[in-house]
Amino acid sequence: MPYFESRLKVNIKDFDEIEKKLEFCKKLGIRNLILEPVNIFKQISFELREKIINQTKLNIYFRYNLTPNSVNDFKNAIKNYNNFPYILSVESKDKEIQINAARDSRVDIVSFSDENILKTLSQGVISLTKQNNSFIEFSLAPIMVRNKALQSKNFRYLYKFIQLAYKSKANIIISGNFDELFDLRHPRSLLSICHSLLDIPLNSAKKLFMDNPKLLIEKIQNRKNNNSIESGIRLIKGGEFN
Amino acid sequence: MKRERQRYILFKIIKEPDIRFGQKEVINSIWQSIWRYFGMKIANKIGLWIINLNFEKEYGIIRCSHQTKYIIISALSLVQQINGKKVILSPLKTSGTIRSIIRIKNLIMNKNKRT
Repeated sequence: MPYFESRLKVNIKDFDEIEKKLEFCKKLGIRNLILEPVNIFKQISFELREKIINQTKLNIYFRYNLTPNSVNDFKNAIKNYNNFPYILSVESKDKEIQINAARDSRVDIVSFSDENILKTLSQGVISLTKQNNSFIEFSLAPIMVRNKALQSKNFRYLYKFIQLAYKSKANIIISGNFDELFDLRHPRSLLSICHSLLDIPLNSAKKLFMDNPKLLIEKIQNRKNNNSIESGIRLIKGGEFN
Repeated sequence: MKRERQRYILFKIIKEPDIRFGQKEVINSIWQSIWRYFGMKIANKIGLWIINLNFEKEYGIIRCSHQTKYIIISALSLVQQINGKKVILSPLKTSGTIRSIIRIKNLIMNKNKRT
């Protein structure tokens, strides 16, 4: 079954680190990975992308994360991402930016991975992402904190906001987003945590780790295809009339 | 009284090389995790039993009640350290009989040998 780890940060300048992380993922049995290059403002080169994909037998996809400081900053940055061939996510504490990102069809994911950003999730953003067929992302990284008080607080926030999004029938993606190697877990394990500790029904939890990331990747592949107008609509025979 | 159904869970032990710990330490860390995240109310329903632990081949098999399967998988996943050393107990497969879990274990081990 295709379980996805939807967010793994990698430093593109350090290929050894990437190799180490991918090898560890392989050891854990993770087969589908979405990598997020950090410390990079342009697209990664074709050679490097091919090198990463060929190095391991994993299914690797790429995503980029924007962290704008203001609405103008976001509007200026998003101009460079028309017909972007990778997944594009936006992460910000500012509600105005979140609303703009949720409205924008170029944005695929509005991310609420950080515990401080998680608190700012609102019904308005959920509703806009639903209208736009984009996804809301949560991350389980905050639960791996060693401090018990902080950990229970993070569990509470995750529970509250995942339930809010789930009950509103939002398109949700749950990722690991773990920084340290020994914090990494197989998505199947994360699914169990979601089911047993965050009260998400098993079938729905499976959807968050399997179906939704797959839908997201299909959306990106359709975007690459010039014949596709929007999800579910594409020109056949190159748009020619007989 | 109807006999309780059971589940056997095969998990992988991932640790840094040269780190050793015993069976007792592993079971203690699993119980600690169950207590920390689920408490007494759940802990008394689990019926945890270690079937096999092999540190050389890095795998373990535990038995639990079928109703608490996902709780045990979560508890295993949430174990972060044993004796202060970083470790991952990653669940691989669940089965209803010991015979099939051993068959699955052998299949996985053989596959790992080949790659």
